[in-house]
Amino acid sequence: MQSSEERTSPQTKSIMRFLRPTLNALGVPLLAVLTAMIVGGLIIAFAGGDPFMAYIGLFQGALGSPRALSETAVWASPYIFAGLAVALAFRGGLFNIGAEGQLAFGAVMAALIGYALPGWLHIDLPAFIHIPLAVGFGALAGALWAAIPGALKAYTGGHEVINTIMMNYIALNLTSFLLNGPMRDPNPLNVIARTPGIAESARIPPIFSGFRVHWGFILALLVALAVWWLLWKTTLGFEIRTVGANPDAAKYAGIDTKRTIVLTMALSGLLAGLAGTIEVTALNYRHELGFSIGYGFDAIAIALLGKTHPLGVVLAALLFAAMRNGGTRMQFLTQIPVDIISVIQALILLFVAADAIIRYIYRIRAREERVVLTRGWGG
Amino acid sequence: MKRLYGVIAVLLVAALLMPACAPKAPDCTKADVFCVGMVTDVGKIDDKSFNQSTWEGVKLAEKELGAIVQYLETTDSKDYAKNISTFADAGYDVIVTVGFALGEATAAAAVQYPNIKFIGVDQFQAWPYDEDKTNDIANLAGLNFPEDQAGFLVGALAAQMTKSGKIGGVFGTDVVPPVWRFGEGYRAGAQYITPAIELFIVYHNDVGFDKTFTDPEWGATTANSMIDKGADVIFGGGGKTGNGAVIAAAQRSVYAIGVDTDQYYTLPEAQKMLLSSAMKLLTPGTLELIKLAKEGKFPSGNYLGKGGYAPYHDLDSQVPAEVKTKMEAINAGLLDGSLLTNVPPVKP
Repeated sequence: MQSSEERTSPQTKSIMRFLRPTLNALGVPLLAVLTAMIVGGLIIAFAGGDPFMAYIGLFQGALGSPRALSETAVWASPYIFAGLAVALAFRGGLFNIGAEGQLAFGAVMAALIGYALPGWLHIDLPAFIHIPLAVGFGALAGALWAAIPGALKAYTGGHEVINTIMMNYIALNLTSFLLNGPMRDPNPLNVIARTPGIAESARIPPIFSGFRVHWGFILALLVALAVWWLLWKTTLGFEIRTVGANPDAAKYAGIDTKRTIVLTMALSGLLAGLAGTIEVTALNYRHELGFSIGYGFDAIAIALLGKTHPLGVVLAALLFAAMRNGGTRMQFLTQIPVDIISVIQALILLFVAADAIIRYIYRIRAREERVVLTRGWGG
Repeated sequence: MKRLYGVIAVLLVAALLMPACAPKAPDCTKADVFCVGMVTDVGKIDDKSFNQSTWEGVKLAEKELGAIVQYLETTDSKDYAKNISTFADAGYDVIVTVGFALGEATAAAAVQYPNIKFIGVDQFQAWPYDEDKTNDIANLAGLNFPEDQAGFLVGALAAQMTKSGKIGGVFGTDVVPPVWRFGEGYRAGAQYITPAIELFIVYHNDVGFDKTFTDPEWGATTANSMIDKGADVIFGGGGKTGNGAVIAAAQRSVYAIGVDTDQYYTLPEAQKMLLSSAMKLLTPGTLELIKLAKEGKFPSGNYLGKGGYAPYHDLDSQVPAEVKTKMEAINAGLLDGSLLTNVPPVKP
């Protein structure tokens, strides 16, 4: 009796050779998503809602029309940047919980350059100078903010998990001070904490007129490619991954681990800063207190779901974006509270993190390497 | 592994089939179907505050006008525009947005969808400043409230109920005009009853904007120091800061007065000493504007709703009949314009 392997044509075989590892890598996360949707559906049904109608709404709202697709891309843009930030740090053996603060700091800096720079220089800047300046300074602010806990880790051993969390508080309160004080929109009718609108010349335009999806989304995809290239095609990337996998071996091999740790955090912060920057320059055209609450934390879930691989991060970011975006239509059709989206996202994360559950349900053997997320003191 | 591919295949087929079965909903694009949609600010529909009171007004429109009603809770400020256009694209006739933060998104949508009537709750429309009605967006009305009148009412009530002749008020900040109007209305109302009354009025201006409304400890401490100085009625206004003052007053067993909505329902820990609340009457204001929209008499610019004071609830027996009569007379005077608070719209 012939095995199925021998009956297939050579072309199919070569396609399968390419597909199999991809499917294997996608398998657990995909099944985690599926299982979470089923459990979420049961919760909806238990609460008296119609799960099928809810998921139809979710699907329509996320992908059902050109505008829905555009809004999903709008949601995905900061998620991709912030997810890459957390994933890159994971690859370097660092757990960057501070993406939220780095993001806020990047957004403040981008807004400042966006609305104040023309006034300081007394000239109207052309867009091709003003946009890169705003984006660049926003990214730089995020990088500097993250380099501090990086340096603390490298030179004093202060754990980055604790320090990035504390830096979050500093960043968010500093932001709140700036938006209420020196950077507050002086319009007398304004009663909320926000900056003035940024200059026209600092605004990243939408790709299609009439839709909000902007070039920042394309930039996010390009940056994902760049992160992949950096991690797997450059010496620095090799050093980052080596330090992440085994700092002692890296040191023995002659890698400057301290410098690499600081650089990894700075690069991670740069990506998080870009997430905030893009929201200001391409979408909101100002920084407002309260926007972005939680993107830096969603990013951790996205990085985990994407197995800390840039391609995985993009897919996970698109999934989370689709769910957050489709939630509106789901709510519109069924009046099911949008909180159910958070429940499903949490379930996905639970199943990805505790993948033994998924492996048990679907009888999948463990074959993949496990990702080292963070290590303890002095590690 | 085969099982895995099978599962993925089923999943993909299911995803492709999903849009095929379109859901059935009342068709708001038809002329004879009157639909009202409401978009909340970042908060829940049952917040026992603005979102909830406005939604109650919309629900009344369902009951009294036979409207199809629906709401969307916003979870992120970047969804304001999308949530509004979800209703607009479905052919809704009236869209209500709640809170100052939605002002820009609402104005932009009103320009984009000129055939839909927009009601912006607590959204002050800037152009009437130059009193040129032609600058108005014809299909947008900001529903605002005479906070000074509501403050005036509870000020008058406090001045009649105090035994020590000393009353206090603890407020978020005088930089935000509605909060300032509550505070100064309170002052004016108290002095209307007793010109020489001793007033302690404090605004929490000494901290950042994020703290002014979220500092219940400061509210409680300030209320307590006023009570130590002999105040026996405390009016708390301005988010959690004001709530802190109201709860502190109730704990010290002096009369407390709440703000915005009837806080008897939002602050159960203050119920037994809650004398009244200075109210923005969101529910009737919303209903009224929806009615005007249905009748084709929709106003543009700023539409002034009504202020009021909440029932005495548990303390009803402690309020003398002549005070109740006086309060009704003051309320009637404010409503017909024979009594003025003389509080300007913004701090001079």
